[in-house]
Amino acid sequence: MTNDHPTNSESQDDPLLADLRRLAGVVDPVPDQVTAYARAALGWRRIDAELAELLVDSQLEAASTTRSVSESERTLTFRATDLDIDVELSLGDDEIVLLGQLAPACTAAVDAQRDDGSTVATVAADELGRFRFSLERGVRIRLVVRREPPATPVETSWIDV
Amino acid sequence: MSSPAASPSELLKKAAAGDQFAWNAIVDRYSGLVWATARAYRLSRDDAADVAQTTWLRLVEHLDRIRDPERLGAWLATTARHESLRMIRRGGREQPTDEADLFEVPDGDAVDRLLLDQERDGKLWRAFAALSDRCKTLLRILMADEPPSYEEIGAALGMPVGAIGPTRMRCLDRLRRTAGVAELGA
Repeated sequence: MTNDHPTNSESQDDPLLADLRRLAGVVDPVPDQVTAYARAALGWRRIDAELAELLVDSQLEAASTTRSVSESERTLTFRATDLDIDVELSLGDDEIVLLGQLAPACTAAVDAQRDDGSTVATVAADELGRFRFSLERGVRIRLVVRREPPATPVETSWIDV
Repeated sequence: MSSPAASPSELLKKAAAGDQFAWNAIVDRYSGLVWATARAYRLSRDDAADVAQTTWLRLVEHLDRIRDPERLGAWLATTARHESLRMIRRGGREQPTDEADLFEVPDGDAVDRLLLDQERDGKLWRAFAALSDRCKTLLRILMADEPPSYEEIGAALGMPVGAIGPTRMRCLDRLRRTAGVAELGA
C-alpha cells in the first residue's frame, strides 16, 4: 500500500485494482443501451415546465414498514410550488388505470409521456381537477399538466407503473 | 476514455442550456460510477440498467437545481444508491442476483476470450468472486471507470469516507493472499 490516506483516484492506482478494473470492463461493462438512453435523456427535458417532485409512494412506504401491501392499488403524490397531483394506480385486466386529482382543483390538459419521447395520451382534467388514463403495464411515464395561462406547466418526475 | 477538461459545474451549466456535447461529456465521465453503484447492490444487469436510466432521468430533472455542482459525481452516486435501494424494496423485476453468480460473467464469449484464455485473469476474477460481500461491494465501485473519488464511493455505498481506505486495503490484501493470486505478480 502506497498511501496512508488516499483520497482520490490518483492514489488508487494499485496494480491489482487496475487489473480488476480492466476485467470489469470486459465482464461487466456499462450496457450500450444504458449509455444511449442516458445521452438521449437530455432531450426529454422541458425547460418551460416546473418539476413536481414525488412526495409519497405507497408502494415504497408499504415495503419499508413491512405492512402488507395491497397488490392492486398504489397511490402517489407529486408536489410543485402551487399544485399537488395525487395519483392512484390500480390494476385492470391487462392495463393500469391511473386516476388523478389536481389540488387545488382546476381544469387542465394532462399528457402522459413515455421515456422514448412519445405521448401516450392527452386527457382533460374536469372542473374538480380529476382525470383518468389507461396505461400499459410496466412502462415508465410522467404526467405533464397544462393549466390555463398564466399558470406554468407542471411535469411530474418519472415513475414506473 | 479521456477526461474532458471542463469542470462539472461548467458542463452542468451548458447541459442545462441544452448543450448535448456537454451532456455527453457528463454521461461519459460518470456512467461507469452509476453502473458500478447499481451492480454493487447486487442488482441483475436488467435491474441495474433500470436504475442507471432512472438516475440519468433524475439528473435531467434536476439539471438546474444541483446544489453543489462541483460534487456532481457524489450527487449521481447518492441518487443511484437511492434508486438501487428503491428497486430492492420494490422487489425488483427479478430477485437480486444469487450470491453464487453475482459477478459471474454474463456473456460466455467474453470469458472465453479474455478470461479462460488468460489463466491469470481467470484466477484473479475467481479470487475476487470468492471475497466477502463487503469486499466485493467496495471493490466493484473502485473498479468503476473513471476511478471514483472517495467522496463518490462514500456516497454510492452510504459509507463514511474514513472507512474506505482501511477496508480497501484489507480487501486487496485478502485478494493478494488468495491462492493463485500471490504468484501472479500483482
